[in-house]
Amino acid sequence: MIAALALVVGIVAGLVLRPTVPTWLEPYLPIAVVAALDAVFGAVRARLDDVFDAKVFVVSFVSNVLVAALIVYLGDKLGVGSQLSTAVVVVLGIRIFGNAAAIRRRLFRA
Amino acid sequence: MTAGRRSPTQALVELFTDPRELGYEESARRHGGRPPRHLYDRPVIVLTCLVLGFVLAVAWVHVNRGAPTAAKVHAGLVKRARAAQGDVQSLTSTETALDAELQKVRVAALAGSSGLLRQLSLSQIDAGSAAVTGPGVEVRLSEPTVAAQPTTLPGAGARTPASGGHVLTQRDLRSVVNQLWSDGAEAIAVNGIRLTATSAIRFAGDAVLVDFQPINSPYAVDAIGNSNALVTAFAASDVASRYQTLAGAEGIGFSFREERSLELPAGPAATLRYAHLAKGR
Repeated sequence: MIAALALVVGIVAGLVLRPTVPTWLEPYLPIAVVAALDAVFGAVRARLDDVFDAKVFVVSFVSNVLVAALIVYLGDKLGVGSQLSTAVVVVLGIRIFGNAAAIRRRLFRA
Repeated sequence: MTAGRRSPTQALVELFTDPRELGYEESARRHGGRPPRHLYDRPVIVLTCLVLGFVLAVAWVHVNRGAPTAAKVHAGLVKRARAAQGDVQSLTSTETALDAELQKVRVAALAGSSGLLRQLSLSQIDAGSAAVTGPGVEVRLSEPTVAAQPTTLPGAGARTPASGGHVLTQRDLRSVVNQLWSDGAEAIAVNGIRLTATSAIRFAGDAVLVDFQPINSPYAVDAIGNSNALVTAFAASDVASRYQTLAGAEGIGFSFREERSLELPAGPAATLRYAHLAKGR
């Protein structure tokens, strides 16, 4: 599928270009990664449920990343940055697990 | 099912149990049960997937960037340490060979005056610069062996400490050596390094240095003397009872036994720069 192909091309581009991450961006990298994974699994699940909408996909991914980054930034300013970052990663991780489980149910039952 | 009626607790529970991205379902419902199709669908999906893949790859690169350099630095340091050790060993063997040659030449030169030769041998034994053999005592001390401990850190496997525990320090070696001297030892060597009149037992970091040569656990202290008297006096000493207790409490290895024949190597010949013979000798 063209989306999977685009994903692979993006990964290869990142590996080839090897950009250096600026220091101020470093604490937001893990939440961006988890939000990206959550968006991917959510999109695959929606595709299997036949309710996939590209607009929802993009908006949910971007807004998840932005909201998570905002939470971590606020937390940093208030002194609970690492804890809030952990909380964000935990919640998004649980969502990933739930979506993966739903995908598994769809793939091996239906 | 009205979204507004759900209580916040229920929403929270559903967040964990069934994390659907409700946006998809609502948009499908708005468009009559099927997902909507727009012109911009394909390119937008492609673009977003590119960005997603890029972010994942960048994060991976960022985390693993430092790993090869760190490994290289470590390997470089290990190589340098091994090379330095090899240098020390070759220099020590050269020194021993030259010493033996010097001794031969000395004996040949003093062949005529046997009294002088005998005096020289005795002084050499006292100073520790001649290899000696005789009965004595061997005291062994070793660090407790620590089993590999599992850590709670994710990603780190079970860790084995580099050198077991660190219970024994140079002070322990010093007290054993001092006790043996006071019990009447005539020559002492620690891990094969002979103690001379100018030897010192120090430490650097975690390593014990005898005459600037680092030694590791297990430590063997060999003392030549009246083996019976040595063993009895050592066994009755405070030092021995302290280490017996430590062996029971901390699990260090401690043992000593009479040896019929011990051979101690020669110590390094000290170059005296400031000490001269007193006037009138």
